Amino acid sequence: MNHTLVDLIDISKGFGDQIVLDKLNLSIRENEFLTLLGPSGCGKTTTLRILGGFETPDFGQVIFDGEDITNLPPNKRNLNTVFQKYALFSHMNIEENIAFGLKIAGKSNAYIKDKIKYALKLVNLEGFENRLPDSLSGGQQQRVAIARAIVNEPRLLLLDEPLGALDLKLRQDMQYELIRLKNELGITFIYVTHDQEEALTMSDTIVVMNQGYIQQMGSPEDIYNEPQNAFVADFIGESNIIEGTMLEDRLVKILGAKFPCVDEGFGRNRPVDVVIRPEDVDLVKPEEGTIQGVVSHLIFKGVHYEMEVQANGFEWLVHSTDMFPVGQKVGIHVDPFDIQIMHKPVSEDEEAIGVNE
Amino acid sequence: MNRKKLLTGPYFFWAVAFILIPLAMVLYYGLTDVDGHLTYENLLAIGTVENFKALCLSLLLSIVSTAICLLLAYPLAMILSGMKVNQTSFIVLIFILPMWMNFLLRTMAWQTLLEKNGVINQLLGFLHLPSIQLINTPYAIILGMVYNFLPFMVLPLYNVLSKIDKDVIFAARDLGATELYTFRKIIFPLSLPGVVSGVIMVFVPALTTFVISDLLGGSKILLIGNVIEQKFKQGSNWHVGSGLSLVLMVFILISMVVTTKYDKDGQGGMF
Amino acid sequence: MKKTARNIYLALILILMYAPIVTLMILSFNASKSRSKWGGFTLQWYSSLFRDDAIMSALYNTLVIAFLSAILATLIGTCASIGINSMKSRWRTVFMGVTNIPILNSDIVTGISLMLLFIACRFTLGFSTILMAHITFNIPYVILSVMPKLKQTNKSTYEAARDLGAGPFQAFMKVVFPDILPGVLSGFLMAFTMSLDDFIITHFTKGPGVDTLSTKIYSEVRKGIRPEMYALSTLLFLSVMVIMILVNSAPKEPDKKLSLELENEKKKLPLRQVIPAALVILVAGAGFLFHLGSKGSVSDEKLIVYNWGEYLDPEVIDIFEEETGITVTYEEYETNEIMYPKIMSKAIAYDVVCPSDYMIQRMRENDLLAKINWDNVPNIKNIDPTYMEQSRSFDPENEYSVPYCVGTVGILYNKTMVKEKVDSWDILWDEKYRDSILMQDSVRDAFAVALKRRGYSLNSVVVDELIQATDDLIAQKPLVQAYVVDQVRDKMIGNEAALGVIYSGEALYTQRENPNLEYVIPKEGTNVWIDSWVIPSNAQNKENAEKFINFLCRPDIALMNFEYITYATPNKAARDLIEDDSIRNSRVLFPEAEDLKGSETFQFLGDEADSYYNELWNKVKSK
Repeated sequence: MNHTLVDLIDISKGFGDQIVLDKLNLSIRENEFLTLLGPSGCGKTTTLRILGGFETPDFGQVIFDGEDITNLPPNKRNLNTVFQKYALFSHMNIEENIAFGLKIAGKSNAYIKDKIKYALKLVNLEGFENRLPDSLSGGQQQRVAIARAIVNEPRLLLLDEPLGALDLKLRQDMQYELIRLKNELGITFIYVTHDQEEALTMSDTIVVMNQGYIQQMGSPEDIYNEPQNAFVADFIGESNIIEGTMLEDRLVKILGAKFPCVDEGFGRNRPVDVVIRPEDVDLVKPEEGTIQGVVSHLIFKGVHYEMEVQANGFEWLVHSTDMFPVGQKVGIHVDPFDIQIMHKPVSEDEEAIGVNE
Repeated sequence: MNRKKLLTGPYFFWAVAFILIPLAMVLYYGLTDVDGHLTYENLLAIGTVENFKALCLSLLLSIVSTAICLLLAYPLAMILSGMKVNQTSFIVLIFILPMWMNFLLRTMAWQTLLEKNGVINQLLGFLHLPSIQLINTPYAIILGMVYNFLPFMVLPLYNVLSKIDKDVIFAARDLGATELYTFRKIIFPLSLPGVVSGVIMVFVPALTTFVISDLLGGSKILLIGNVIEQKFKQGSNWHVGSGLSLVLMVFILISMVVTTKYDKDGQGGMF
Repeated sequence: MKKTARNIYLALILILMYAPIVTLMILSFNASKSRSKWGGFTLQWYSSLFRDDAIMSALYNTLVIAFLSAILATLIGTCASIGINSMKSRWRTVFMGVTNIPILNSDIVTGISLMLLFIACRFTLGFSTILMAHITFNIPYVILSVMPKLKQTNKSTYEAARDLGAGPFQAFMKVVFPDILPGVLSGFLMAFTMSLDDFIITHFTKGPGVDTLSTKIYSEVRKGIRPEMYALSTLLFLSVMVIMILVNSAPKEPDKKLSLELENEKKKLPLRQVIPAALVILVAGAGFLFHLGSKGSVSDEKLIVYNWGEYLDPEVIDIFEEETGITVTYEEYETNEIMYPKIMSKAIAYDVVCPSDYMIQRMRENDLLAKINWDNVPNIKNIDPTYMEQSRSFDPENEYSVPYCVGTVGILYNKTMVKEKVDSWDILWDEKYRDSILMQDSVRDAFAVALKRRGYSLNSVVVDELIQATDDLIAQKPLVQAYVVDQVRDKMIGNEAALGVIYSGEALYTQRENPNLEYVIPKEGTNVWIDSWVIPSNAQNKENAEKFINFLCRPDIALMNFEYITYATPNKAARDLIEDDSIRNSRVLFPEAEDLKGSETFQFLGDEADSYYNELWNKVKSK
């Protein structure tokens, strides 16, 4: 596949006594759409700012295209950033905003004019050249910010929660727009967000972060279907996370019942966390289920019904196209390959360190 | 929502009674002579050689001290806004605190510092450097103006600069701008409302002062403020004094027009 | 590197800001009364400060006015801001323009225009007029600090509160007010500070017996600032500084997540301002209590005295009040020219005033004076007849005035710098003393020197003579170090200049502080001045005024005053009581007839000549 564009090696960064990043290692391949996903304070934005050159790491190196750029000022880096709150220059019109980087690079007027036209067309804002940023809507401002960054033809585009301030519909439109842009331009995107749906929709690779550590890195499918710990499972999508005991290979005990599964190598009688996605819980007749319960809540969600089932002292979240009314007795069945077994962390620290261990 | 406008009521009456009517009285005095006849002579008094010279000198000194204030205050405000303290009240207090010492006493203290045998010259003598003539020169007046009015420059600048989104500066750097270019094209233009209101807040009092020139200029240097003060207090000629005040008000009016043009949202305020 | 440069820069600016303040603090420990001489370390000013009723009541007035005006301005200003904020932009511009007027207008115009208004409305100048004036110039500071905060508030929060059932007022107090509170508080503090620091506007709008620290300081300038003022300012400054440090070093909440920090700051901000505001209230309250405690019983018999600053032993008033039961309101001014318009406007009915010779003539000619009933002033017999005779030049029939202080204008010189004999005004034109000459900064005094030097009358109205004098003064200007009124004393004591034109009354004091100084009356003659008590025609308590004048003519009282102000007394009986021979027989204080050969007393020359003098003086000053 493509060769590595960026390498973050042993990056550590603290503010005061608070450690934000601890020995972070990350490689980003050329032409990849990589998303840093995690709750606020997880270190994803700091990682992005270190890449952009707005923060210097306390330790570690940033390698860009084989070159050490750790101490290079932002204006000397061949990458651009799209900021969360757009950061447009309010005293300049759209044209001047977009031309800003090109003028510094010393491009000819004709070239700049062409580029502005091209960029505005790309972000569907033709004819907005002479407007002031404050007269545009949030979505339009965001598109100007993107245009302003991409006209410089960076090798790498950093996007810091660029859609965070937009409403849902606009956000969805912009997601497709970004994917289209990435494909048209063929540049590498590093995208920061706390919105898992956004991450799953757009990314080639998702990096889930928490408390300064990478929890899991992989394709959207991997991350969703095979979360490596409870944090990732909980953060990505909805799931039932239940404490259980691994009795032997391919057999787990949950809530007093034995469930066959496909996982091996956990040893005998080991406490584990079990993740079952709500859409993987099958509701059947009581006598056909592994365990029995009663439906306690029911909501129609359009594509499916969302139900809660009380069974063996646990409230199961279930998504299903079949409807069972509240109060109905049901059986619960889960296919072995839909059960995801995870190591139970011994301490909170270990939980945070996750797969980095 | 319209009821809210009624809240302006007390201020409206106050402003009419204590700002506009008194101003109208100055206007009346300025445009009449002792017998109450309409005359332009009080306004034309600015044209006499002495008064015109005083006006020009006032303009010169206040422009110079405004420029110095700006040059001193801008880096200062940048440093302060870059500091992590984020304690506006603290910074405001540092610059307001000196005002708790009386204005007259503060300015007189400069005499003690600047005099021939004053603290500064004694320090120079101690270092075996030649003493310098400081007191009773235009430089001393400029120093006094800069000293007294610097806070009025620092505070609006600090306010405007600390409100600039750091990401905007990062964005410029990200797009390839050097620090200097970022300052010229982004920071300075964005701080313009603060610059304008700071310049006016310094320029106007500097233009009209008479205490500073009296205390630090040894009364050898006559500013337009001194002329007006004399007309009111020594000559008891309120008509000419009012006339000259009206002329000064032209400069103040210009300042106000400029402020409203550049500072539409009042973001260049002191606070 | 960059950080060091920054810190050095910050340090330099702070030195600039605080150097004068440190100077004042050091002066407050100076045993010498003169600001230009270090007389050793003392704490005496701090102890005498609290025993000085005049200063303490000025402090009280200052704090109460600052507090009340700031509170009222905050109320009016905050309401106005809310109203203005909800207006259409055109009206908003108009209102903001009006708001800018008091800030941008020069203080002197604001002060005078308000005085004109108060006089036109027949308001009695006093505490309330100062208060109104201060509210007027404070409101804009409040509005300018509240408006930006109002603009930042989210409109829908107010609507949300209304939606949840809150009345308009309740919604405002619960939702909008907390948001703009930092702006309101900083507006209040700013208003408080501006009011505290104001001199010019207060000066024009104040009435008798009401002094703020600023006006007190200004009226003291003539006789030199009393070191108690330095001590008081130091205390005020230090207490505010301590409060500030306390507030800012208050324990911070433990830092949580980085992103939360901003939120915390926002919440803490009002607290930081609430504490100083609370302390300000405390200080004002304490002043109020002090004032309650110090106010004695008030009798119906009243007397309003209007006198030069530091021109009467305060103890004398106490004795007078005790002996007669008359309550005295004591008010001070700095120059004749400041006093005159106040008398002329009749805004205040002063009972007894102490102007100088030529001003008495002017007041007499403008029918501003009442004839004194000599039956009520038997002590007039103590006054040296020579001075009564001299008074005839401005009070031809001796009907209106009783001499109080007399003296000459002469040259004070430093024996170490001037080796030759000083006996003529000519020496003030000697190139040798370039930049070492101090001239008086007033029209008549300056022209008197020039006219006398040429042998002309100091009351000359001959155009040629005056033009000649003007040219002389212009020629002299490069040699002059400064034109000053009050600071001749301090500058001569501090060896700043070799020669200075000074009033004889100051000679005694300056010689005591600096033995190298010598006073001479030039042989061409000089100005013999007399400050006399007069009664304005609109006096309400004329008999009390006469009682007061008679009291001041008593030898023991006249002696007390002489010892306090050190200006020569025309009271022969008092002079005989002076114990110190060298003072009693001082020819500087009590010159012989031959010393005064060719000397004259100032006369009022009429408005036209007056403005001609002013015009010529302007010419000199602007050269």
